[in-house]
Amino acid sequence: MRAILAQRWGALVLFGVAAVIPIFVRDAYFLDTLVLILLWGALSAAWNIACGYAGQVCIGHAAFFGIGAYSTALMGVRFQQSPWVGMLVGALLSLAAGAAIGYLSNRLKGPYFALSTIAFSQVLLIVASRWRAFTAGSEGLPVPFRPGFATLGLGDVAWAYLILVVALLYWGIQVWLEHSRFGYRLAGVREDEDAAQALGIPSRRLKVIAVTASAALTSVCGTLWAQKVGFVDPFYVFSVDLSVRFALNAIIGGIGTALGPFLGSILITSLETYLRATLSGVKSGFTGIYLIVYGIVLILVVRFVPEGLAGLSARLRARWTRAQA
Amino acid sequence: MDSARRLGHAQIDVFAQLGVSTVLLGGIYALIAVGLTLIFGIMRVVNFAHGEFLMLGMYLAYWAFALLSLDPWFVLFVSIPLFFGIGLVTYMLVMKGVIHASHNVQIFTTVGLSTALQNLALVLWSGDFHTVRPWHALTPVRVAGTAFNLSQVVAFVIAVTLTVLLFAFMRWTHTGRVMRATAQDRDAAILMGIDTDRVYRITFALGIAAVGAAGVLVSPLYAVYPTAGLQFVLLSYVVVVLGGLGDMVGALIGSLIVAAVEVAGSYFFGTAWKEIFYFVLFIAVLVFRPAGLFGQRGAENLGV
Repeated sequence: MRAILAQRWGALVLFGVAAVIPIFVRDAYFLDTLVLILLWGALSAAWNIACGYAGQVCIGHAAFFGIGAYSTALMGVRFQQSPWVGMLVGALLSLAAGAAIGYLSNRLKGPYFALSTIAFSQVLLIVASRWRAFTAGSEGLPVPFRPGFATLGLGDVAWAYLILVVALLYWGIQVWLEHSRFGYRLAGVREDEDAAQALGIPSRRLKVIAVTASAALTSVCGTLWAQKVGFVDPFYVFSVDLSVRFALNAIIGGIGTALGPFLGSILITSLETYLRATLSGVKSGFTGIYLIVYGIVLILVVRFVPEGLAGLSARLRARWTRAQA
Repeated sequence: MDSARRLGHAQIDVFAQLGVSTVLLGGIYALIAVGLTLIFGIMRVVNFAHGEFLMLGMYLAYWAFALLSLDPWFVLFVSIPLFFGIGLVTYMLVMKGVIHASHNVQIFTTVGLSTALQNLALVLWSGDFHTVRPWHALTPVRVAGTAFNLSQVVAFVIAVTLTVLLFAFMRWTHTGRVMRATAQDRDAAILMGIDTDRVYRITFALGIAAVGAAGVLVSPLYAVYPTAGLQFVLLSYVVVVLGGLGDMVGALIGSLIVAAVEVAGSYFFGTAWKEIFYFVLFIAVLVFRPAGLFGQRGAENLGV
């Protein structure tokens, strides 16, 4: 345990700082950014389980995010249930959907699987934006705000700590994957599925479990996001851009590493917040500018630094220790 | 439409209209999909940015029309060499470095390109919807109880002509043969002295030129906006998977099937739900026949 923590000093620093900030900072805008960094990081961590650890390229994870967001909004608006019920319903639906997608991953490889995940999120987008009677259609759905923990109507500081707990949990799941029998077998499947199967690893079942878990974890964050933001827009929650964003954080930070998604999120989310603050007055099209940067960064990172920031730091450290010796 | 349904005589017209719609739409979808399937068949890369090049073609037609009052049919002569050039540059800058990389790297490279291009359009030209209304978009053509506007009919004719030209190029020219050889066996092609880098360059440029031309052709028929490519590209994935990725004839048949599903779906269930049918079809084909409707099992790993 101690050895594991010693290797993880980066995460300890990151989450430690995140835990201390709300004690001293009361600025709503700053706390908001903190929450978003942790939430996008947790979402990318959830994506990382399916893609980074299990090697299944999903670009439709917005589907599960949207399921979580819509579940809480619809449970609140249509059935007067608490957000926790919505979260549970969303997670169960995502478990089912994730199992179906996971099953697909056993039949489809690479680009085919990626296409099927996009198609799945598009089907949900069409349903959410056209089924006016139930989902309110393309206008979107406001999420009812009721103060109190039981109804997830929280203050800024409470949000920061709640999301910090979620982020720590997701990070912990990834660390577990790196040190458990399950995780080792999953890595085996990712690196060489035929070889893994030859060794008696039930590769199909492992992939389904990884994708299903990733789906449910994504859905939970979708619920939290909807409660925090207070509005669900089908064209945002089911968008391809959102799916790309989950991937982008993890890829920039280091795909298949526990801390990577959070490092990527710090970089991308602060870049976005900074550009939004500086460019908001300039032009309505500001959203486009950081997304152009996203796209270019994604192309450059997968080509030149495929191991991401986390891998880059490991490479530099290895070089440094070699120089010392 | 109700009065038409009641009259037995006019009902034939409705079905004639639906049938001709299917063919017209299918021809245009084929031109979009054929570029995608060409790039996949030869380079083994699914171009997730394909729709964005279509969108750029639509914007080219829009600006030529808005600023210079140029007819989209005329713009076509400019667009084909222009998009061929854009394809070459994109290949050199973006695709060349990842052509031998893993699927995952290629997927994220083209996804990144898609995001960047889409938002470049958003920043440069805003998210507003634009329309291109040349005279032929308002000219009806009536044949045998069906009515279409002239833009649609001519777009179909040009799209089919370009697709046939591309087929002929692949089949009968030396370069086309070299491209097919590379698709069949990259290593053997290299041993035969084929410059595969040149093949990939030309393939990508041809695919982009085809989809750019399609963008110009559809500009009088659909609204022009930064994410306009998305609906078409999703549809062309369906087409291409139906026909078998990399199979050009399959892409033609796939286009007709998707067009038929779309036309029939819009007629019987309303336009709002039409996409759901081909996505469901898409997922069903992926699950049950990933090599396409006509492909052999395992053909998803082979060439054109």
